[in-house]
Amino acid sequence: MSTSAQRPYRVLVSKIGLDGHDRGSRIVAAYLRDAGMEVIYTAPWQEVQALVRMASDEDVDLIGISSLATDHLLLPKLLEALRAADLGDLPVVVGGIVPDEDEQALIEAGVRRVFHPGSSRDEIVSTVAALAAEARIQRKTESF
Amino acid sequence: MSVRPAVESWGASDLAARVRAGNRASIARAISTVEAGGKASAELLKALHEATGRARLFGITGAPGVGKSTLVGALIAELRNGYQSVAVIAVDPSSPVTGGAILGDRVRMTQHVEDDGVFIRSLASRGSGGGLSLATSRVAEVLDAAGLENVIIETVGAGQSEIDVIDVADITTVVCAPGLGDDIQAMKAGLLEVADVLVVNKADDPMATLTVNQLESMLALRSDAGRKVPLLKTAARDAVGIPELADALNQAFEKLDQQGRAERRLQRMQRLLATVAGGIVARRLKATRGRRLDQLLTRMAAGELDVETAAVALLKSDVWRQD
Amino acid sequence: MRRQPSQLPLPGFDQARAEWRRAYGEQLPEERPIFNRSGIEIAPLYTPEHFSDERYMDALGFPGHGPMTRGIYPSMHRGRAWSQRQLIGLGVPEDYNRRLKRILASGGTAVSLIPCNSVYRGLDADQVDPLLLGTCGAVVNTVDDMDACFADVAVDELSTAMNDPLPFTLLALLLAVSDRRGIPWTKLTGTSNQSDYISHFVANHMFFRIALPGSRRILIDHIEFTNRHVPGWNPVSVVGQHMQQAGATPAEAMAFTLCTAVQYAEDCIARGMDPDTFLPRFTFFFDISISFFEEIAKFRAGRRIWARIVRQRFGARNPRAARFKFHAQTSGVDLTRQQPYNNIARVTAQAMAGIFGGLQSLHTDAYDEVLSVPTEHAARIAVCTQNILREEAQLGDVIDPLGGSYYLEHLTNETEALIESLIAKVDDAGGMYRAVETGLVQTMIGESAMRFQARVDNGEQTVVGVNKYRLEEDSDARASLKRPSPEKIEAQLESLRQYKKGRDSAAVQRALETLTRVADSENENVYAALVEATIAGATHGEVVAVLRREMGDGEPLIVP
Ligand SMILES: Nc1nc2c(ncn2[C@@H]2O[C@H](COP(=O)(O)OP(=O)(O)OP(=O)(O)O)[C@@H](O)[C@H]2O)c(=O)[nH]1
Ligand SMILES: [Mg+2]
Repeated sequence: MSTSAQRPYRVLVSKIGLDGHDRGSRIVAAYLRDAGMEVIYTAPWQEVQALVRMASDEDVDLIGISSLATDHLLLPKLLEALRAADLGDLPVVVGGIVPDEDEQALIEAGVRRVFHPGSSRDEIVSTVAALAAEARIQRKTESF
Repeated sequence: MSVRPAVESWGASDLAARVRAGNRASIARAISTVEAGGKASAELLKALHEATGRARLFGITGAPGVGKSTLVGALIAELRNGYQSVAVIAVDPSSPVTGGAILGDRVRMTQHVEDDGVFIRSLASRGSGGGLSLATSRVAEVLDAAGLENVIIETVGAGQSEIDVIDVADITTVVCAPGLGDDIQAMKAGLLEVADVLVVNKADDPMATLTVNQLESMLALRSDAGRKVPLLKTAARDAVGIPELADALNQAFEKLDQQGRAERRLQRMQRLLATVAGGIVARRLKATRGRRLDQLLTRMAAGELDVETAAVALLKSDVWRQD
Repeated sequence: MRRQPSQLPLPGFDQARAEWRRAYGEQLPEERPIFNRSGIEIAPLYTPEHFSDERYMDALGFPGHGPMTRGIYPSMHRGRAWSQRQLIGLGVPEDYNRRLKRILASGGTAVSLIPCNSVYRGLDADQVDPLLLGTCGAVVNTVDDMDACFADVAVDELSTAMNDPLPFTLLALLLAVSDRRGIPWTKLTGTSNQSDYISHFVANHMFFRIALPGSRRILIDHIEFTNRHVPGWNPVSVVGQHMQQAGATPAEAMAFTLCTAVQYAEDCIARGMDPDTFLPRFTFFFDISISFFEEIAKFRAGRRIWARIVRQRFGARNPRAARFKFHAQTSGVDLTRQQPYNNIARVTAQAMAGIFGGLQSLHTDAYDEVLSVPTEHAARIAVCTQNILREEAQLGDVIDPLGGSYYLEHLTNETEALIESLIAKVDDAGGMYRAVETGLVQTMIGESAMRFQARVDNGEQTVVGVNKYRLEEDSDARASLKRPSPEKIEAQLESLRQYKKGRDSAAVQRALETLTRVADSENENVYAALVEATIAGATHGEVVAVLRREMGDGEPLIVP
């Protein structure tokens, strides 16, 4: 059915932990919207469990987390919680200030991509689209 | 309940069973399915149908920024106090150019996110008019079948054009806020007519009384002034006036007896059918290239055929044939 | 404002200008107009037609007097160099104390305290994920913690700037420490940085927030309390930095900051306070972007407008009230992760703009800010940058050294006009409190952020190493991270447990009840009750929990 192929990607854009600087997450949300995606946008300071719940209820294709302080340290916990909720196939990406040493650890924990400051709009949009597409094929959303 | 449906085991009836059992992941997936439309959606809805008709469907509409989402957040809390389950369908507009959308209504409902008795889903309008009503009413059906007792549908209604929410809800609440004089003018045209309950939010604003007065005089001037529409003041941000609103909603719903509900349901079906059929005709017209259609259009342009006659001819005739 | 060239008594001016125009046009037949970040068009050349000495007394005057354009003190940096205030805070109180002593040993007298983000969220250490504790600032929850931060340090001999957002618990803890040590509060000096709650709502920063009406009340309580009991303390630092970091243009950041200061002053006056008393204790805090001349013009224009507002709107006569005292920090937004050593050059240019703009106190960013929390090595380079600018380049020798530049004076005037028009917009919306409540300011800043990002995306705004002059990633500058060890954090948590066990819990209970009652009352001073509660032994998280419950949580005011 052609309509299902065209269904826009749904992406959850959020922030976890303690910091609330949201300039980056807003700009990324606007990028993704302008690329035709549906962005579920939350307030900062989300709890890991709340994010899992939202990702599940909203049936998103990808989670994007912005982290400018050290909140990315919580990402392994988010990935763990997603797996526990049977959402382990949902791609998680992070953007912001992530030191190299942490990046390695995050990738090992299952984060699919780390965007550093200065990442271009194209890079962000195309990576997100590709990961979301992959996730959707895996989950075969509309076919049963 | 956290077990995700295994893809290969999905059949319409299987998924429907999980939805009816209240499995959250299945509800989420089913919503995506019906939102996308098509055959899968039709099958699923059919399988869900016998479980529907129990939920109360409340529409909340009003101009941008009047505090609809905040009000919905407060209403959820009120309904949860009475141990009722609540679903919210929060609709935000998509960009007409890119089709993308930022869905931010949830921001005002954060405190309920981990409550198992609450299911919030953000929906993008994906174009205007009939499409929205159709998708929303399907999503509402899924939530209804899942056993959620109340389904609240938030849509932006700026005036005449976007009163889709009445196509979907049993009870429509129109929200306004003080200091939006122009919007009240616009409302006169459309929104006011469809309101079962009227709310002036941001009652903490000193201008609120003025707005209430304006609305009261407008209500008095209505053609059906006999129909009593409750007019309430709320300060959603401080949860003021919310129990009263919940009462008014209950009463409005109870006033709709079984027969009234059935009638409204038929009316809704009728409106849905009209908008959706209209959409289909429009899409097909756009996609059709053919001698017969050309002839019809030429005659209309030349003034030989008036629009109404042409439309009747169109619905009956075989101009659709591609030749 | 612009003068007719024919009025200029400069023989040959018109002709020479016409000739230059022609020659210029030959070399650059087609030129795209250039705009600065605030949207002011920048001409290729400025001359006496843009600014002439006849306007000197009206527009510039002398430092410390009149329009204040050239500076707020008669001797400016020549008399007393700007304070070098590096913001520090890391790990547990003992870590902070060690670093503080090193700074003091090297001659510093102005210090700062940055608490951990958990403190900003209004939480004690035992209320957050231990993984995050002490990774961005020092964990300070109790009087013991504050005492440990300043162990072997005479708190009355320092000027202490604390990042202490509403409800100002850190100052309360410092007052409790002073009590312990027998130091009268009147001997304390310093500033409550981050006291500007409006900026926190606007820029949706890192702080927890009490709902607007409660925030409004507590700030004024705090000003009233410190004016009376801690007279050497600056209770308000009005912050333009957050807004500029969130995307406001330099002119917007200045305008909205001035509007915020006006709002606070009006709120104080409504309380019956005297502008000549409270205004001299107002301070400001700004971002310095790399848009060099624009930043200098921003500061000069801001100084001029503030002096005018103070005299005309508030009728203040105390000359100290008209002084636009500000701390500034080089902007982290301009720094790049790519080729990070380039950031040292950026910080240098930003710092120069701030110094030429007449700042009173400066924080230079470490070049690795965008990589992680700054390392000590990078922080030292940042400090040395200031030393070099001051003592090798000798930027402080002359007051307002760029004053009189045709370009800068003209730009200052244009910036001033733009700021004034933005102030008028906020005034029309009913003042800053109202304009923020309705989201007007947030919307404007959001749009500016998008506009700027679009300029970077399409290459109109160069960012070296990012959209131009790119290299293959050079990662040699990445430094190693220092985070507090889990053992240290566990020890800190244990000390919090011990603290709670050791205190007079009945007294704490009573004090928290009093705080609750005062918060519910109409007009008792909430801050005074909060100070009493911390002296009685209440923790940061405990007093914040009371206020949140009684006064409501401040929610984000706008979504994109
Ligand atoms: N003063 C006041 N402000 C309120 C009240 N209720 C909501 N608001 C504020 O109004 C703004 C808009 O609230 P929302 O709930 O997002 O309004 P909305 O109608 O859902 O907005 P859209 O979905 O964008 O159309 C927010 O800043 C709320 O905090 C109230 O009772 N009083
Ligand atoms: Mg809304």
